[in-house]
Amino acid sequence: MPSGVVVLSNVRKSYRLGAVDVRALRAIDLTIDHGDFLALAGASGSGKTTLLNLIGCIDKPDGGRIALDGRDITALPLHRLAALRRQRLGYVFQTFNLIPVLTAWENVEYPLLLQKVPRRERDARVRRWLDHVGLSSAAKQRPDELSGGQRQRVAIARAMVTEPALVLADEPTANLDSATSAQILDLLRALNEDTGTTFVFATHDPQLIARATRRIHLRDGVIVEEEIDSPLVAQEAC
Amino acid sequence: MLLRIAFRNVFRNGRRTSITLVVVVFGAVAMILFGGYKTVTFYNLRESTIRNRLGHLQIFARGYLSAKSQKPLQYGLDDVRALRGAVESDPRVKMTAAQISLMGLISNGESSETFLATAVEPEKDRSMSSVRLRAGSWIDERETDGVMLGRGLAEAMNARPNDYLTLMTTTTTGSLNAIDVRVAGIFSTGVKEFDDRAIKMPLGGAQQLLQTARVERLIVMLHDTEDTKAVETALLQTLRARGLDVEMKDWSDLATFYHQVVLLYNGIFGFLGIVVFAIVILSVMNTTMMSIFERTREIGTLMAIGTTRARVWNMFLLEGFFIGAIGAALGIAAGLGTAALINAADLMLPPPPGYTVGYLLRIRPTAPVLTTALLISVITATVSAVTPAFKASRLKIVDALGHI
Repeated sequence: MPSGVVVLSNVRKSYRLGAVDVRALRAIDLTIDHGDFLALAGASGSGKTTLLNLIGCIDKPDGGRIALDGRDITALPLHRLAALRRQRLGYVFQTFNLIPVLTAWENVEYPLLLQKVPRRERDARVRRWLDHVGLSSAAKQRPDELSGGQRQRVAIARAMVTEPALVLADEPTANLDSATSAQILDLLRALNEDTGTTFVFATHDPQLIARATRRIHLRDGVIVEEEIDSPLVAQEAC
Repeated sequence: MLLRIAFRNVFRNGRRTSITLVVVVFGAVAMILFGGYKTVTFYNLRESTIRNRLGHLQIFARGYLSAKSQKPLQYGLDDVRALRGAVESDPRVKMTAAQISLMGLISNGESSETFLATAVEPEKDRSMSSVRLRAGSWIDERETDGVMLGRGLAEAMNARPNDYLTLMTTTTTGSLNAIDVRVAGIFSTGVKEFDDRAIKMPLGGAQQLLQTARVERLIVMLHDTEDTKAVETALLQTLRARGLDVEMKDWSDLATFYHQVVLLYNGIFGFLGIVVFAIVILSVMNTTMMSIFERTREIGTLMAIGTTRARVWNMFLLEGFFIGAIGAALGIAAGLGTAALINAADLMLPPPPGYTVGYLLRIRPTAPVLTTALLISVITATVSAVTPAFKASRLKIVDALGHI
């Protein structure tokens, strides 16, 4: 099996939409490498969100195999997958998906509580990540008191605070204006470069696709094109 | 954090939580009022049964309870003075009173009726009894031929105070005997069937009528009902040590009516309780299900970032628990307030079946009543959330995240 953060081999996924069986993914082979800043691009229904869900261990394939950090996770029971998500993965959602009754601080702190990180270390990490995304002053505010861009920054801090191997983001800029989108992209790219964390996006956003160092184009559940920037091109794109 | 999330979620939809809390509070108040009313009723009935009729303990001659007597007072107590001395030496004993029950015919010369007489020591009986004097006077300790008639019996005999009537019954030797008695007074107990047949007469008069020096039983009154079992045990040992061969019953063994009322009230209030709590369960369940429906995407997010199904389940159970706890606290406050208002209003309830006088409605929300209301409210609300919480924990993450 090839090495990589995530390796998908002959992965297939179908689901039922009313009376119709939709083949969302057909025989996907993909290796995501450490440090990738990878965009899954394609039209609606192309299978990019389904692929993201499978990579993120929140859905299971109908066939094929998925390995995370070299370990086959295809047949893992649900509670083991939950532990894996807690420890190795971070998520950023299109609609931010913060817990409305928690403050920005508490939202970022939550994954650390799940990991049972001691109080002192937890506080230090939450403070560092809120500072990193520029929201130290908004720590006590609840999501409904924050702008869209601020909420997405909190969501990014929440995804990064556990120092995951891989961050998955589903249309992270879709609910933001272009200026805020650009700021969020700058932040994500900086995190990718500074921490070496692997990022995988499912997106329509041309701006985000352009900023990715690796682009996987999907159509009807099949990878139709893959582009990889050379380090020089990637540097110029920034 | 789970506690924090659950607690804050309770107040997320203020209007819906308020409606649910109103239902829980209503349930708790209903339970406190029912429970408080039951407590007063059972206590009053118990104490009136003990103070007016049975005493805390009754002592009989050996054989009275187990053997079938062929003649009146065949198993009577011979030496009541010695027995009384032994019993009253216990400081927990308030007093003792000898009694005889007898039945026979009463006649005014024109008509006759059956009677049920209780022969008493008049002064002691007055201190024990709650009968109401309707006419004439109480019977005098020294007057052996003075009697008091129940109101219904007096009406049937067309008797007034100072009229003379004749009592006739079978003596302890099996022969018939009759004595003339003077109607000293007329009383009522509030129980019509009893008042239609009842006579109270002095012990001396009854012994004269029955031609005996025996008494049927010695009634023992205690200072505190809670001491009954302990005193019974101690007295049995004391009396046995003194060579007094007796049998003993406590009030609970003899209070058939009291136990029937307890059963009846428990049945009625139990049914009402089930109805009230069915409403509470449905209400909390509905609230939790609505809450889960609205927060489906949030549940998906929590699970996506690694929250286990068990934690999701616990979170919604905790929300049910908090609703129950807050509702119970408010319900206890409201219940205490309502009970105080009802007690202050001095509301009269109509006479129960078989009684002729009404009684004051009183609510006594005791610590056990309040604790029961608290526990049942909290447990019911928590249990109501079990099924919806379980459903929430079984959501597929992908479906939950895609929920609109």
